[in-house]
Amino acid sequence: MEYGNAAIIFMVIAVVACVLGLTFFGVYCLNKFVDQNTRKGGSVRQP
Amino acid sequence: MHLIPQSSSHFHLLVSIFPSIGLIFMLGFYATAFATDNEAMKRSCLVLFAILGLLAIPTYMSGDRSMAVLSQDPKISPDLMTTHFGWGITSLALLLLTGATALIELWRCRHAKRLSNDALHLVLGLAIVTLALMVITGEVGWEINHHELRLDPATQRTPQAWSHVHIILNHFPTVGFVFALVFYIAALVMNNVVMKRASLVVFVVCAILGVPTYVTGAASMWALTGVAGISRAAINAHRDMALWTLFGLAFTGVTAWIELWRFRHLGRFSNRALYLVLAFAIITLGVMAETGHRGGQINHPEIHVATDPLPTDPKAGLSPAIESLINHVIWFVPWQTVHFFGFSLIFGTALAVSLRVLGFWKSMPFSAVHRILPLGVFGVVMNVFSGMLILFADSSRYLNATTFAPKTALITIGAIAVLYFSLSERLWTVKAGEDAPMSAKWVAALVLLSWAGVIMGGRLIPYV
Repeated sequence: MEYGNAAIIFMVIAVVACVLGLTFFGVYCLNKFVDQNTRKGGSVRQP
Repeated sequence: MHLIPQSSSHFHLLVSIFPSIGLIFMLGFYATAFATDNEAMKRSCLVLFAILGLLAIPTYMSGDRSMAVLSQDPKISPDLMTTHFGWGITSLALLLLTGATALIELWRCRHAKRLSNDALHLVLGLAIVTLALMVITGEVGWEINHHELRLDPATQRTPQAWSHVHIILNHFPTVGFVFALVFYIAALVMNNVVMKRASLVVFVVCAILGVPTYVTGAASMWALTGVAGISRAAINAHRDMALWTLFGLAFTGVTAWIELWRFRHLGRFSNRALYLVLAFAIITLGVMAETGHRGGQINHPEIHVATDPLPTDPKAGLSPAIESLINHVIWFVPWQTVHFFGFSLIFGTALAVSLRVLGFWKSMPFSAVHRILPLGVFGVVMNVFSGMLILFADSSRYLNATTFAPKTALITIGAIAVLYFSLSERLWTVKAGEDAPMSAKWVAALVLLSWAGVIMGGRLIPYV
Protein backbone atom coordinates (compact mmCIF):
# COMPACT_ATOMS: atom_id res chain seq x y z
CA MET A 1 0.00 0.00 0.00
CA GLU A 2 1.38 3.39 -1.02
CA TYR A 3 1.18 6.46 1.22
CA GLY A 4 1.48 10.11 0.15
CA ASN A 5 3.82 12.69 1.67
CA ALA A 6 0.98 14.21 3.69
CA ALA A 7 0.26 10.86 5.37
CA ILE A 8 3.94 10.39 6.28
CA ILE A 9 4.28 13.94 7.67
CA PHE A 10 1.07 13.52 9.69
CA MET A 11 2.33 10.19 11.04
CA VAL A 12 5.69 11.70 12.07
CA ILE A 13 4.05 14.65 13.84
CA ALA A 14 1.50 12.40 15.59
CA VAL A 15 4.07 9.86 16.85
CA VAL A 16 6.61 12.51 17.95
CA ALA A 17 3.90 14.58 19.68
CA CYS A 18 2.65 11.52 21.58
CA VAL A 19 6.12 10.32 22.64
CA LEU A 20 7.45 13.76 23.61
CA GLY A 21 4.13 14.65 25.28
CA LEU A 22 4.32 11.53 27.44
CA THR A 23 7.98 12.22 28.26
CA PHE A 24 7.43 15.82 29.31
CA PHE A 25 4.31 14.88 31.27
CA GLY A 26 6.32 12.21 33.12
CA VAL A 27 9.11 14.68 33.96
CA TYR A 28 6.53 17.30 35.02
CA CYS A 29 4.81 14.83 37.36
CA LEU A 30 8.08 13.69 38.94
CA ASN A 31 9.26 17.25 39.58
CA LYS A 32 5.81 18.31 40.83
CA PHE A 33 5.95 15.46 43.36
CA VAL A 34 9.36 16.62 44.61
CA ASP A 35 8.16 20.27 44.70
CA GLN A 36 5.08 19.41 46.75
CA ASN A 37 7.19 17.59 49.30
CA THR A 38 9.66 20.49 49.35
CA ARG A 39 6.90 22.96 50.23
CA LYS A 40 5.69 20.83 53.12
CA GLY A 41 9.17 21.06 54.56
CA GLY A 42 10.83 18.74 57.00
CA SER A 43 10.76 15.67 54.76
CA VAL A 44 13.16 17.03 52.17
CA ARG A 45 16.77 15.93 52.17
CA GLN A 46 18.64 19.20 51.95
CA PRO A 47 22.07 19.02 50.31
CA MET B 1 6.75 -27.03 33.60
CA HIS B 2 9.12 -27.39 30.65
CA LEU B 3 11.53 -25.06 32.48
CA ILE B 4 12.26 -27.81 35.01
CA PRO B 5 15.38 -29.65 33.85
CA GLN B 6 14.83 -33.24 32.82
CA SER B 7 18.48 -34.25 32.34
CA SER B 8 21.81 -33.74 34.10
CA SER B 9 23.09 -31.68 31.17
CA HIS B 10 20.10 -29.34 31.39
CA PHE B 11 20.44 -29.03 35.17
CA HIS B 12 24.19 -28.36 34.84
CA LEU B 13 23.55 -25.57 32.31
CA LEU B 14 21.15 -23.91 34.75
CA VAL B 15 22.93 -24.35 38.06
CA SER B 16 26.48 -23.64 36.85
CA ILE B 17 25.79 -20.00 35.93
CA PHE B 18 25.02 -19.09 39.55
CA PRO B 19 28.47 -19.75 41.05
CA SER B 20 30.17 -17.97 38.13
CA ILE B 21 28.07 -14.95 37.10
CA GLY B 22 26.38 -14.86 40.51
CA LEU B 23 29.74 -14.32 42.21
CA ILE B 24 30.22 -11.07 40.26
CA PHE B 25 26.95 -9.67 41.63
CA MET B 26 27.72 -11.03 45.09
CA LEU B 27 31.07 -9.24 45.08
CA GLY B 28 29.28 -6.04 44.04
CA PHE B 29 26.87 -6.31 46.98
CA TYR B 30 29.73 -7.28 49.31
CA ALA B 31 31.83 -4.27 48.22
CA THR B 32 28.79 -2.03 48.87
CA ALA B 33 28.42 -3.56 52.35
CA PHE B 34 32.09 -2.70 53.04
CA ALA B 35 31.83 0.81 51.56
CA THR B 36 28.73 1.64 53.63
CA ASP B 37 29.80 -0.43 56.68
CA ASN B 38 26.32 -1.93 56.78
CA GLU B 39 26.32 -4.87 59.18
CA ALA B 40 22.99 -6.37 58.02
CA MET B 41 24.17 -6.31 54.41
CA LYS B 42 27.47 -7.98 55.35
CA ARG B 43 25.56 -10.78 57.13
CA SER B 44 23.15 -11.16 54.17
CA CYS B 45 26.17 -11.45 51.84
CA LEU B 46 27.72 -14.14 54.05
CA VAL B 47 24.44 -16.12 53.96
CA LEU B 48 24.43 -15.93 50.17
CA PHE B 49 28.12 -16.89 49.94
CA ALA B 50 27.24 -19.96 52.03
CA ILE B 51 24.33 -20.81 49.68
CA LEU B 52 26.64 -20.36 46.65
CA GLY B 53 29.14 -22.66 48.35
CA LEU B 54 26.41 -25.30 48.72
CA LEU B 55 25.59 -24.92 45.01
CA ALA B 56 29.08 -26.30 44.29
CA ILE B 57 27.73 -29.79 45.14
CA PRO B 58 24.86 -29.98 42.57
CA THR B 59 27.07 -28.18 40.04
CA TYR B 60 29.77 -30.84 40.41
CA MET B 61 27.32 -33.78 40.42
CA SER B 62 25.33 -32.62 37.39
CA GLY B 63 28.57 -31.78 35.55
CA ASP B 64 29.99 -35.22 36.24
CA ARG B 65 26.83 -36.97 34.95
CA SER B 66 26.61 -34.63 32.00
CA MET B 67 30.23 -35.53 31.08
CA ALA B 68 29.30 -39.20 31.02
CA VAL B 69 26.41 -38.48 28.61
CA LEU B 70 28.33 -36.07 26.37
CA SER B 71 31.35 -38.39 26.04
CA GLN B 72 29.12 -40.56 23.78
CA ASP B 73 28.82 -37.64 21.33
CA PRO B 74 31.60 -37.72 18.68
CA LYS B 75 31.25 -33.95 18.09
CA ILE B 76 32.30 -33.16 21.68
CA SER B 77 36.03 -32.84 22.31
CA PRO B 78 37.12 -35.08 25.26
CA ASP B 79 40.17 -32.84 25.79
CA LEU B 80 37.96 -29.78 26.29
CA MET B 81 35.77 -31.69 28.72
CA THR B 82 38.82 -32.85 30.71
CA THR B 83 40.20 -29.29 30.84
CA HIS B 84 36.77 -27.95 31.92
CA PHE B 85 36.55 -30.67 34.58
CA GLY B 86 40.03 -29.82 35.95
CA TRP B 87 39.37 -26.08 36.23
CA GLY B 88 35.81 -26.75 37.39
CA ILE B 89 36.73 -28.98 40.29
CA THR B 90 39.40 -26.50 41.48
CA SER B 91 37.04 -23.53 41.35
CA LEU B 92 34.17 -25.47 42.98
CA ALA B 93 36.46 -26.62 45.81
CA LEU B 94 37.44 -23.00 46.39
CA LEU B 95 33.78 -21.94 46.24
CA LEU B 96 32.94 -24.54 48.86
CA LEU B 97 35.77 -23.16 51.03
CA THR B 98 34.44 -19.59 50.56
CA GLY B 99 30.94 -20.71 51.57
CA ALA B 100 32.26 -22.66 54.57
CA THR B 101 34.32 -19.65 55.76
CA ALA B 102 31.24 -17.43 55.47
CA LEU B 103 29.12 -19.94 57.37
CA ILE B 104 31.71 -20.35 60.16
CA GLU B 105 31.95 -16.57 60.57
CA LEU B 106 28.17 -16.26 60.74
CA TRP B 107 28.03 -19.03 63.37
CA ARG B 108 30.95 -17.61 65.34
CA CYS B 109 29.43 -14.12 65.53
CA ARG B 110 25.79 -15.17 65.88
CA HIS B 111 25.49 -13.33 69.20
CA ALA B 112 28.09 -10.62 68.54
CA LYS B 113 27.13 -7.16 67.28
CA ARG B 114 29.92 -6.96 64.70
CA LEU B 115 31.54 -9.48 62.40
CA SER B 116 35.31 -9.91 62.42
CA ASN B 117 37.01 -7.80 59.74
CA ASP B 118 39.75 -10.42 59.21
CA ALA B 119 37.19 -13.13 58.42
CA LEU B 120 35.26 -10.78 56.15
CA HIS B 121 38.43 -9.96 54.21
CA LEU B 122 39.28 -13.67 54.00
CA VAL B 123 35.86 -14.36 52.42
CA LEU B 124 36.44 -11.45 50.02
CA GLY B 125 39.86 -12.76 48.97
CA LEU B 126 38.60 -16.31 48.52
CA ALA B 127 35.60 -15.10 46.47
CA ILE B 128 37.85 -13.04 44.16
CA VAL B 129 40.20 -16.00 43.51
CA THR B 130 37.16 -18.29 42.98
CA LEU B 131 35.72 -15.84 40.47
CA ALA B 132 39.00 -15.74 38.51
CA LEU B 133 39.00 -19.55 38.31
CA MET B 134 35.28 -19.59 37.43
CA VAL B 135 35.94 -17.27 34.46
CA ILE B 136 38.41 -19.80 33.01
CA THR B 137 36.08 -22.74 33.81
CA GLY B 138 33.11 -21.01 32.20
CA GLU B 139 35.06 -20.07 29.09
CA VAL B 140 36.25 -23.65 28.53
CA GLY B 141 32.75 -24.95 29.35
CA TRP B 142 31.06 -22.76 26.73
CA GLU B 143 33.47 -23.99 24.08
CA ILE B 144 32.42 -27.64 24.66
CA ASN B 145 29.03 -27.22 22.99
CA HIS B 146 29.43 -24.06 20.97
CA HIS B 147 31.30 -25.39 17.94
CA GLU B 148 30.41 -22.24 15.99
CA LEU B 149 32.97 -20.29 18.06
CA ARG B 150 35.73 -22.24 16.30
CA LEU B 151 34.53 -21.43 12.75
CA ASP B 152 37.06 -19.69 10.49
CA PRO B 153 36.37 -15.90 10.76
CA ALA B 154 37.38 -15.45 7.09
CA THR B 155 34.31 -17.44 6.00
CA GLN B 156 31.89 -15.46 8.20
CA ARG B 157 30.10 -12.24 7.18
CA THR B 158 28.91 -11.59 10.73
CA PRO B 159 31.74 -12.43 13.16
CA GLN B 160 31.16 -15.18 15.75
CA ALA B 161 32.55 -12.74 18.32
CA TRP B 162 28.93 -11.49 18.59
CA SER B 163 27.74 -15.01 19.53
CA HIS B 164 30.60 -15.35 21.99
CA VAL B 165 29.74 -12.05 23.70
CA HIS B 166 26.01 -12.94 23.69
CA ILE B 167 26.65 -16.34 25.35
CA ILE B 168 28.43 -14.54 28.20
CA LEU B 169 26.33 -11.36 28.41
CA ASN B 170 22.85 -12.93 28.41
CA HIS B 171 23.48 -14.48 31.84
CA PHE B 172 24.09 -11.11 33.50
CA PRO B 173 20.50 -9.75 33.50
CA THR B 174 19.11 -13.20 34.37
CA VAL B 175 21.41 -14.07 37.27
CA GLY B 176 21.65 -10.40 38.31
CA PHE B 177 17.86 -10.25 38.67
CA VAL B 178 17.81 -13.38 40.86
CA PHE B 179 20.41 -11.93 43.25
CA ALA B 180 18.88 -8.44 43.18
CA LEU B 181 15.46 -9.91 43.99
CA VAL B 182 16.83 -11.94 46.91
CA PHE B 183 18.55 -8.83 48.33
CA TYR B 184 15.53 -6.65 47.57
CA ILE B 185 13.08 -8.92 49.38
CA ALA B 186 15.50 -9.19 52.32
CA ALA B 187 15.83 -5.37 52.31
CA LEU B 188 12.05 -4.90 52.33
CA VAL B 189 11.67 -7.39 55.20
CA MET B 190 14.53 -5.85 57.24
CA ASN B 191 13.66 -2.29 56.10
CA ASN B 192 17.33 -1.71 55.27
CA VAL B 193 17.81 1.45 53.16
CA VAL B 194 21.34 0.58 51.93
CA MET B 195 20.21 -2.85 50.72
CA LYS B 196 17.15 -1.34 49.04
CA ARG B 197 19.32 1.16 47.17
CA ALA B 198 21.90 -1.48 46.21
CA SER B 199 19.19 -3.81 44.84
CA LEU B 200 17.57 -0.96 42.90
CA VAL B 201 20.98 -0.14 41.39
CA VAL B 202 21.40 -3.78 40.30
CA PHE B 203 17.92 -3.72 38.69
CA VAL B 204 18.93 -0.61 36.74
CA VAL B 205 22.32 -2.08 35.72
CA CYS B 206 20.62 -5.31 34.56
CA ALA B 207 18.11 -3.26 32.55
CA ILE B 208 20.98 -1.36 30.90
CA LEU B 209 22.79 -4.65 30.16
CA GLY B 210 19.58 -5.84 28.48
CA VAL B 211 20.38 -3.51 25.56
CA PRO B 212 23.78 -5.00 24.56
CA THR B 213 22.36 -8.47 25.31
CA TYR B 214 19.52 -7.94 22.83
CA VAL B 215 21.81 -6.37 20.21
CA THR B 216 24.45 -9.11 20.45
CA GLY B 217 21.61 -11.65 20.28
CA ALA B 218 20.31 -10.12 17.04
CA ALA B 219 23.86 -10.21 15.63
CA SER B 220 24.28 -13.84 16.74
CA MET B 221 21.20 -14.67 14.69
CA TRP B 222 23.05 -13.56 11.55
CA ALA B 223 26.31 -15.17 12.67
CA LEU B 224 24.47 -18.49 13.15
CA THR B 225 22.57 -18.29 9.85
CA GLY B 226 23.70 -21.22 7.72
CA VAL B 227 25.45 -23.03 10.58
CA ALA B 228 24.51 -26.74 10.56
CA GLY B 229 22.03 -27.82 13.23
CA ILE B 230 20.78 -24.29 14.03
CA SER B 231 17.08 -23.66 13.42
CA ARG B 232 15.92 -20.15 12.46
CA ALA B 233 12.48 -20.94 13.87
CA ALA B 234 14.04 -21.73 17.27
CA ILE B 235 16.02 -18.46 17.10
CA ASN B 236 12.85 -16.48 16.28
CA ALA B 237 10.97 -18.07 19.20
CA HIS B 238 13.85 -16.98 21.48
CA ARG B 239 13.91 -13.53 19.86
CA ASP B 240 10.18 -12.99 20.49
CA MET B 241 10.57 -13.73 24.17
CA ALA B 242 13.72 -11.56 24.31
CA LEU B 243 11.61 -8.66 23.05
CA TRP B 244 9.19 -9.06 25.98
CA THR B 245 12.20 -9.36 28.31
CA LEU B 246 13.53 -6.06 26.99
CA PHE B 247 10.18 -4.40 27.81
CA GLY B 248 10.17 -6.00 31.27
CA LEU B 249 13.72 -4.86 31.92
CA ALA B 250 12.84 -1.34 30.77
CA PHE B 251 9.80 -1.13 33.09
CA THR B 252 11.73 -2.50 36.08
CA GLY B 253 14.87 -0.45 35.37
CA VAL B 254 13.08 2.86 34.87
CA THR B 255 10.84 2.39 37.94
CA ALA B 256 13.89 1.47 40.01
CA TRP B 257 15.87 4.46 38.70
CA ILE B 258 13.01 6.89 39.39
CA GLU B 259 12.89 5.62 42.98
CA LEU B 260 16.67 6.19 43.32
CA TRP B 261 16.26 9.69 41.87
CA ARG B 262 13.34 10.53 44.18
CA PHE B 263 15.20 9.13 47.20
CA ARG B 264 18.00 11.60 46.45
CA HIS B 265 15.58 14.51 46.77
CA LEU B 266 13.24 13.24 49.50
CA GLY B 267 15.58 11.11 51.60
CA ARG B 268 13.01 8.29 51.83
CA PHE B 269 11.39 5.69 49.61
CA SER B 270 7.76 5.40 48.62
CA ASN B 271 6.49 1.95 49.70
CA ARG B 272 4.02 1.83 46.81
CA ALA B 273 6.81 2.44 44.28
CA LEU B 274 9.06 -0.16 45.95
CA TYR B 275 6.35 -2.83 45.65
CA LEU B 276 5.75 -1.78 42.03
CA VAL B 277 9.45 -2.44 41.33
CA LEU B 278 9.09 -5.81 43.07
CA ALA B 279 6.09 -6.76 40.92
CA PHE B 280 7.85 -5.71 37.70
CA ALA B 281 11.01 -7.58 38.73
CA ILE B 282 9.16 -10.83 39.48
CA ILE B 283 7.23 -10.72 36.17
CA THR B 284 10.41 -9.85 34.23
CA LEU B 285 12.33 -12.71 35.87
CA GLY B 286 9.59 -15.13 34.78
CA VAL B 287 9.76 -13.84 31.19
CA MET B 288 13.57 -14.00 31.30
CA ALA B 289 13.50 -17.61 32.46
CA GLU B 290 11.40 -18.56 29.42
CA THR B 291 13.70 -16.49 27.15
CA GLY B 292 16.74 -18.28 28.55
CA HIS B 293 15.07 -21.66 28.10
CA ARG B 294 14.26 -20.92 24.45
CA GLY B 295 17.82 -19.61 23.94
CA GLY B 296 19.28 -22.80 25.37
CA GLN B 297 17.18 -24.86 22.96
CA ILE B 298 18.94 -23.23 19.96
CA ASN B 299 22.34 -24.83 20.38
CA HIS B 300 22.00 -27.57 23.00
CA PRO B 301 20.55 -30.70 21.32
CA GLU B 302 21.44 -32.68 24.44
CA ILE B 303 18.66 -30.98 26.45
CA HIS B 304 15.86 -31.51 23.91
CA VAL B 305 12.93 -33.60 25.15
CA ALA B 306 10.00 -35.02 23.17
CA THR B 307 7.43 -33.23 25.37
CA ASP B 308 8.89 -29.82 24.48
CA PRO B 309 9.09 -29.78 20.65
CA LEU B 310 11.07 -27.06 18.88
CA PRO B 311 9.19 -24.58 16.66
CA THR B 312 9.45 -25.29 12.92
CA ASP B 313 8.04 -22.23 11.14
CA PRO B 314 10.77 -19.57 10.69
CA LYS B 315 8.18 -16.94 9.70
CA ALA B 316 5.94 -17.39 12.75
CA GLY B 317 5.97 -15.03 15.72
CA LEU B 318 6.17 -11.37 16.60
CA SER B 319 9.70 -10.52 15.41
CA PRO B 320 9.24 -11.48 11.72
CA ALA B 321 5.90 -9.58 11.77
CA ILE B 322 7.57 -6.38 13.12
CA GLU B 323 10.41 -6.82 10.60
CA SER B 324 7.93 -6.88 7.75
CA LEU B 325 5.92 -3.93 9.12
CA ILE B 326 8.83 -1.61 9.89
CA ASN B 327 10.19 -2.00 6.37
CA HIS B 328 7.30 0.15 5.11
CA VAL B 329 8.35 3.79 5.02
CA ILE B 330 5.29 5.02 6.90
CA TRP B 331 6.18 2.98 9.96
CA PHE B 332 9.93 3.54 9.78
CA VAL B 333 10.17 7.33 9.43
CA PRO B 334 8.32 8.38 12.65
CA TRP B 335 10.49 6.13 14.82
CA GLN B 336 13.67 7.43 13.20
CA THR B 337 12.51 10.96 14.05
CA VAL B 338 11.74 9.87 17.64
CA HIS B 339 15.28 8.41 17.78
CA PHE B 340 16.80 11.83 16.97
CA PHE B 341 14.61 13.55 19.55
CA GLY B 342 15.73 10.94 22.07
CA PHE B 343 19.39 11.71 21.38
CA SER B 344 18.71 15.43 21.78
CA LEU B 345 17.16 14.81 25.20
CA ILE B 346 19.96 12.46 26.33
CA PHE B 347 22.82 14.64 25.14
CA GLY B 348 21.19 17.89 26.30
CA THR B 349 20.67 16.48 29.80
CA ALA B 350 24.10 14.82 29.96
CA LEU B 351 25.71 18.08 28.79
CA ALA B 352 23.94 20.29 31.36
CA VAL B 353 24.58 17.97 34.32
CA SER B 354 28.16 17.11 33.31
CA LEU B 355 29.13 20.72 32.68
CA ARG B 356 27.90 21.73 36.17
CA VAL B 357 30.00 18.91 37.65
CA LEU B 358 32.98 19.98 35.55
CA GLY B 359 32.77 23.51 36.99
CA PHE B 360 30.34 25.49 34.80
CA TRP B 361 27.32 27.37 36.30
CA LYS B 362 28.63 27.18 39.83
CA SER B 363 25.84 29.51 40.98
CA MET B 364 23.61 26.41 40.99
CA PRO B 365 23.87 23.63 43.57
CA PHE B 366 24.25 20.12 42.12
CA SER B 367 20.78 19.19 43.45
CA ALA B 368 19.24 21.73 41.02
CA VAL B 369 20.74 20.13 37.91
CA HIS B 370 19.99 16.67 39.31
CA ARG B 371 16.32 17.60 38.84
CA ILE B 372 16.59 17.41 35.05
CA LEU B 373 18.05 13.89 34.92
CA PRO B 374 14.66 12.15 34.26
CA LEU B 375 14.52 13.98 30.92
CA GLY B 376 17.68 12.15 29.82
CA VAL B 377 16.49 8.81 31.22
CA PHE B 378 13.20 9.08 29.33
CA GLY B 379 15.31 9.92 26.25
CA VAL B 380 17.15 6.61 26.76
CA VAL B 381 13.81 4.75 26.95
CA MET B 382 12.63 6.48 23.74
CA ASN B 383 15.81 5.49 21.98
CA VAL B 384 15.91 1.89 23.17
CA PHE B 385 12.38 1.44 21.83
CA SER B 386 12.85 3.39 18.57
CA GLY B 387 16.38 2.01 18.06
CA MET B 388 15.07 -1.53 18.40
CA LEU B 389 12.42 -0.85 15.72
CA ILE B 390 15.04 0.72 13.42
CA LEU B 391 17.28 -2.32 13.98
CA PHE B 392 14.41 -4.59 12.92
CA ALA B 393 14.23 -2.80 9.55
CA ASP B 394 17.65 -4.01 8.38
CA SER B 395 19.45 -5.73 11.25
CA SER B 396 22.07 -7.49 9.11
CA ARG B 397 23.30 -4.19 7.62
CA TYR B 398 23.31 -2.29 10.92
CA LEU B 399 25.01 -5.04 12.92
CA ASN B 400 27.76 -5.52 10.35
CA ALA B 401 28.60 -1.80 10.32
CA THR B 402 32.01 -1.05 11.84
CA THR B 403 30.71 1.52 14.32
CA PHE B 404 27.70 -0.44 15.66
CA ALA B 405 29.61 -2.49 18.25
CA PRO B 406 31.43 0.54 19.75
CA LYS B 407 28.12 2.45 19.75
CA THR B 408 26.43 -0.33 21.74
CA ALA B 409 29.36 -0.53 24.18
CA LEU B 410 29.30 3.26 24.69
CA ILE B 411 25.51 3.24 25.35
CA THR B 412 26.14 0.72 28.14
CA ILE B 413 29.07 2.64 29.62
CA GLY B 414 27.33 6.05 29.32
CA ALA B 415 24.08 4.80 30.90
CA ILE B 416 25.80 3.05 33.82
CA ALA B 417 28.04 6.10 34.43
CA VAL B 418 24.96 8.38 34.74
CA LEU B 419 23.87 6.28 37.75
CA TYR B 420 26.79 7.83 39.68
CA PHE B 421 25.02 11.22 39.66
CA SER B 422 22.17 9.78 41.74
CA LEU B 423 24.36 7.69 44.05
CA SER B 424 27.35 9.79 45.08
CA GLU B 425 26.93 11.29 48.55
CA ARG B 426 29.78 13.77 48.06
CA LEU B 427 28.38 15.08 44.78
CA TRP B 428 24.91 15.56 46.29
CA THR B 429 26.32 17.89 48.94
CA VAL B 430 27.91 20.25 46.36
CA LYS B 431 26.28 23.61 47.10
CA ALA B 432 26.07 26.76 44.96
CA GLY B 433 29.57 28.18 44.40
CA GLU B 434 31.30 24.91 45.34
CA ASP B 435 33.46 22.73 43.15
CA ALA B 436 32.54 19.06 42.57
CA PRO B 437 35.02 16.37 43.72
CA MET B 438 37.64 15.25 41.19
CA SER B 439 36.18 11.71 40.95
CA ALA B 440 32.82 13.20 39.91
CA LYS B 441 34.56 15.28 37.23
CA TRP B 442 36.09 12.13 35.73
CA VAL B 443 32.66 10.48 35.66
CA ALA B 444 31.12 13.59 34.06
CA ALA B 445 33.81 13.54 31.35
CA LEU B 446 33.15 9.82 30.77
CA VAL B 447 29.40 10.48 30.45
CA LEU B 448 29.93 13.28 27.93
CA LEU B 449 32.47 11.36 25.85
CA SER B 450 30.35 8.18 25.88
CA TRP B 451 27.17 9.86 24.66
CA ALA B 452 29.09 11.94 22.09
CA GLY B 453 30.60 8.65 20.87
CA VAL B 454 27.12 7.04 20.71
CA ILE B 455 25.83 9.83 18.45
CA MET B 456 28.93 9.73 16.22
CA GLY B 457 28.84 5.93 16.07
CA GLY B 458 25.19 6.02 15.04
CA ARG B 459 25.65 8.65 12.35
CA LEU B 460 28.67 6.84 10.87
CA ILE B 461 26.74 3.57 10.38
CA PRO B 462 25.71 4.29 6.76
CA TYR B 463 29.21 5.44 5.76
CA VAL B 464 31.85 3.14 7.27
